Amino acid sequence: MQHAASDAAVDRRWAVLGLGGAALALVAIVVLAAWAAVDRTAGTADADGPAGGSSGEASSYAYPTVVPAPPLDLVDHSGRPFDLADLRGHPVLVFFGYTHCPDVCPATVGTVNRVLGDVGEAPRVLFVSIDPERDTPEAMAEYVRFLPDGYVGLTGNDVQVRAAADGYRVSYAKVETGSEAGYAMAHTAELYLIDPEGRLRFHYPFGTGEEIIAADVAALLAERS
Amino acid sequence: MARLARLAILILGLVALGGLAGCGGSGSIAVSDAWARPSMGMDRAGAAYLVIANEGDEDDVLLGATSPAAATVEVHETTMEGDGSMAMRPIESLAIPAGETVRLEPGGYHMMLIELTGELAVGDEIEITLSFERAGEVTVSAEVREG
Repeated sequence: MQHAASDAAVDRRWAVLGLGGAALALVAIVVLAAWAAVDRTAGTADADGPAGGSSGEASSYAYPTVVPAPPLDLVDHSGRPFDLADLRGHPVLVFFGYTHCPDVCPATVGTVNRVLGDVGEAPRVLFVSIDPERDTPEAMAEYVRFLPDGYVGLTGNDVQVRAAADGYRVSYAKVETGSEAGYAMAHTAELYLIDPEGRLRFHYPFGTGEEIIAADVAALLAERS
Repeated sequence: MARLARLAILILGLVALGGLAGCGGSGSIAVSDAWARPSMGMDRAGAAYLVIANEGDEDDVLLGATSPAAATVEVHETTMEGDGSMAMRPIESLAIPAGETVRLEPGGYHMMLIELTGELAVGDEIEITLSFERAGEVTVSAEVREG
């Protein structure tokens, strides 16, 4: 802050402060009104759009060709060999990430958790690590402790993890970033949905809304019964 | 009369400022909507998000941040790579152009809270002090919550 040199300068400063404040308030009102208008428009578009969740139809994120879910020959967070076939009869959500991932993976976890809250019968969830160097079964166990019931943490050796990721066309690479937090992993951040018959049915890009995914899970459950 | 006008102007200004309650501000930089994710064990970095608005006429630059909640705070950027994968890298500084708002939000810019000094549980509040080239230091309180 500069010191005011004269009364005239003080007057100017008061005027600027007042007018600036009023302008800010006006902007806030306009922004809120616009926001509300956009919300209303977006709500209508969502209900009618191809990805519409409330109609009971499958979203546009369905695979055009339905194939058996690629295997995940890994170990779970208890250190036991994992077999995807054991989850037959349940919808299964799968995503690839790493436990030292502070931004993208927790965002996906948040989306999945809201899906779990939205659906009567919760799907099983597989968090597959693409960072076998740090994510031992013990590290996965510690991480899964912070997640709701229904999560299984999966990891393995380099070869196993690469094979699992390739099956889902997930790419990943270690990136030395110079961060104090250590290296990062670049990775595909899609979410996959496997039906109760063990077939890979949907894949959702990062940031897909939970209502779309929840509707697909509900549709799979309805299909089963 | 001028006194009355001044009073009116001041009241208008205060009402406007009141509307921005909860924002940390210094000069023309206003920081709002600060929040942090719950920690996932003490070995893993936490993440915090906030919104920086430059309401002035001059460009500013976020140079860094500190917090009592972590030994080191870094600003990182998550970007989509050519192969569709997402990658995260630290950035040295973040430009906050005049009149613009820069959002640190999931999948984009975020603050990495490295070497947490304690668990971050839902409902906790942590302080984050941002350092700007022009506006200097701005301290905000970030609520710990899920997404």
